[in-house]
Amino acid sequence: MILSPFRSLVAVALLLAGAALLLPRLVPGTPRDVGIILFVGALLLTVMAMAHRGADPDCDTASPALTRRYLRALMASMGAYVLVLAASIWLLKRVDPPLLRAAVALAPVLPIGFAVRAMVRYMRGLDEMQQRIELEAVGVASVLVSMLYMTGGLLQSARLVHVAGDVAMIWVFPLMCAVYGIAKAFVARRYR
Amino acid sequence: MRSRVRELREARAWSQAQLGERLEVSRQTVNAIETGKYDPSLPLAFRIAALFETSIESIFFPEAPA
Repeated sequence: MILSPFRSLVAVALLLAGAALLLPRLVPGTPRDVGIILFVGALLLTVMAMAHRGADPDCDTASPALTRRYLRALMASMGAYVLVLAASIWLLKRVDPPLLRAAVALAPVLPIGFAVRAMVRYMRGLDEMQQRIELEAVGVASVLVSMLYMTGGLLQSARLVHVAGDVAMIWVFPLMCAVYGIAKAFVARRYR
Repeated sequence: MRSRVRELREARAWSQAQLGERLEVSRQTVNAIETGKYDPSLPLAFRIAALFETSIESIFFPEAPA
């Protein structure tokens, strides 16, 4: 069976949805937010899968060498991020001096910086049409996420919703990445 | 923008991928240029013209008649 983007995205979406449903039953005491986050993740991946449906299997025009280098760098950074984040959460419960706490809290930004560097190098290695697709997708993602946050801000000031500030700030980057992925699939269709 | 890229490529019996390699762009970009879905930048248009040993204006034409 060929591992197309559509099948991979559907598989991961199903895994996330399954985890969202089973986790609270298997691990009692799991915060409700974890289930919601997993479920929203599954929903976003499903939309991405629908956007990729019927697409050319190599809808990304990057050369295999460039894609390999990018994925290797991205996976290493994200792996490091998970480890550093876990260590940071563990240490924050045990460290008191404010400066040290700031350093520990900000440590996960470093691997994210490497991931951003990998993204920039990947985009610079693309040909001009793909760079245009990336630019349009990033533009769409910036506008949509900004509008979402502005809408949320207005609803929050009217006391109709309540989202904790730290949660809202942490979700900017993952949301940008997810919306960019969805937007890219739609933008790329125009050039096919 | 309309173009004669497909015609010129086929006259040389090149595939889209082979032309893409010569121009240092992807097969998808060649396809989008041939189908008029993407207008190449000026440097790429010059590379295309140089490769086919002709002028830019004999390859690319505006969509609506002037």
